[in-house]
Amino acid sequence: MNKTIGTPEGTKDRLFSECGAFRRVEQSVLKVFRCQGYCEMTTPNVEYYDLISAAGHPMAQESMLKIIDRTGKILVMRPDCTVAMGRVAATKLTGLPLPLRLYYNQMVYRSDDVNTGARSEIDQCGVELIGSSGIRADLEVISLAIASLDACGLRDYHIEIGHAGYFDALLDALHLNDSFREQLKELVEAKAFTAFASCLKPFAGEPAAEALLQLPRLFGGPEVLETALCPNESAAEVLAYLKNLYQVLKDAGLSSRVQFDLGLIHTIEYYTGMVFRGYSEGAASNVLSGGRYDKLIGKFGQDVPATGFALDVEAVASCLPQPEHLPPETVVWYDLQSLGPAMEIVKTYPEGTAMLSCAESAEDAQKEAIGLGASRLVLVCNGEKREVSL
Amino acid sequence: MNRLKIAVTKGRLLEDSLDLFEQMGFDCSEVRADTRKLILPISNYPMDVVLSKAADVLTYVSHGVCDLGIVGKDTIMEHGGSFYEMLDLGFGKCRFALAVPDGSDFYGTYQNRVVASKYPNVTKAYFAEKGMDVSVIKIEGSVELAPLVGLSNGIVDIVQTGTTLKENGLTPIETVAPVSARLIVNTASMKLHQAEIFDLMDRIEAVIK
Repeated sequence: MNKTIGTPEGTKDRLFSECGAFRRVEQSVLKVFRCQGYCEMTTPNVEYYDLISAAGHPMAQESMLKIIDRTGKILVMRPDCTVAMGRVAATKLTGLPLPLRLYYNQMVYRSDDVNTGARSEIDQCGVELIGSSGIRADLEVISLAIASLDACGLRDYHIEIGHAGYFDALLDALHLNDSFREQLKELVEAKAFTAFASCLKPFAGEPAAEALLQLPRLFGGPEVLETALCPNESAAEVLAYLKNLYQVLKDAGLSSRVQFDLGLIHTIEYYTGMVFRGYSEGAASNVLSGGRYDKLIGKFGQDVPATGFALDVEAVASCLPQPEHLPPETVVWYDLQSLGPAMEIVKTYPEGTAMLSCAESAEDAQKEAIGLGASRLVLVCNGEKREVSL
Repeated sequence: MNRLKIAVTKGRLLEDSLDLFEQMGFDCSEVRADTRKLILPISNYPMDVVLSKAADVLTYVSHGVCDLGIVGKDTIMEHGGSFYEMLDLGFGKCRFALAVPDGSDFYGTYQNRVVASKYPNVTKAYFAEKGMDVSVIKIEGSVELAPLVGLSNGIVDIVQTGTTLKENGLTPIETVAPVSARLIVNTASMKLHQAEIFDLMDRIEAVIK
């Protein structure tokens, strides 16, 4: 077999019902975005490598798909939508009144290890709310995330909220060097209880260290906000902010969808405040991910706060039942004088249930219709319509 | 309660894991029964044990088809993956070590060093941390052979007692990393079945402490 006839590593074709389920998620989500006043943007599939790396995106260089362009510069296939949106906001939208509400529906690309089943192309639908730093912006994107998953018909899911500031406040209190901070960050992100505890041994007795020790277990319902220790002012501020956030979401009737994880520290450097992820029964990792990134756009020359999220369309679709692929109900055959009326007749049936026949004769059309599993054949001769039941 | 699936590395770690489960009061008789079945229930706790090879434990847990896994830190370091690495179970203890032929001076030269290992990623990461360029060659079988036949200047391998190294004229000169068995958890499972997983973890911690 010709080796190049298949699809490249990590990619796939989507057929019929799978494609239908995928598009249904996409369309449901985009409609929610539009209804809330967000405007669509597209960006190129390639960006400069330097730009992505300046943005503090943690994706390893070897995980990006690279191209050398005609001028010798290194390009990468878009590894992240938020960086691209931030670039546009900083360079092209500076004259517009803030906040900006942007949405996108495009792919991000990964080049991970082979033979792991990992996808190289990930379709994301997401929003960016740029230019507002208040609690209302955070609330808007969280409730938009919930509305999007609801619109897809997802039932068993929740959004988990964390805050980059809580962990930072605790680390600041211990005056740690950068590499040790980085190490602790990775351990908390991995919820490595044992290793984390042994790293903190030298700080035993310090209030911030006690609070840190709790961290890997601090996830679940809103009670974690009560359990969390606040050894200093900034940690207390973060907890108060999250409690406030929860109260508003609760008043809006969304409390059953919201959980907390104070150990949720996006390793993506650009997140600065509230961060969140969506988990659904049926998906092996998060289906949605986002948060506040107040420093990112500043790296492109416009210091504006922003918040947003991206939803993994394929991951959401895989949690939903796939619609059955149905055969057409009606096949329409026409003589060569009747193409116009035949096209009109097809349109009179519900979308997707009727089609024209390419058969040379009415008899062949009947065989074709039976072969397809249709229940009705319509013959259009000299503009006249005649129905045959099958 | 939702039934948990735990992938356990076959071999020594499975024995130690079953001992641990039994200390926790789990009935492992079906797992211990010598059958060819690969998915076996714990009869008095809502959990199934899935028997698999070390690296596959990571794969099953990363993909969420198993909620939890028991696997050596050596495998995690070599293969990585996305999961929570929650508990150090304390058994399966050994270490990654750099071993060289008795009496040879691995670092005392400017010449490029060649290191053989079953764990090329661990080896590369270790020398990269030192800022040292070495050529790493992956070996599938007995790594001790590589320096003996002149393929490499040293090896990076798992060392338990050091007897095999000694018998082959090799001396461990540095510990690369300590190794022990870890409990890993799928990130989504942790969030969706928190109560079940914490119940299991609490029972484990009560025994290993």
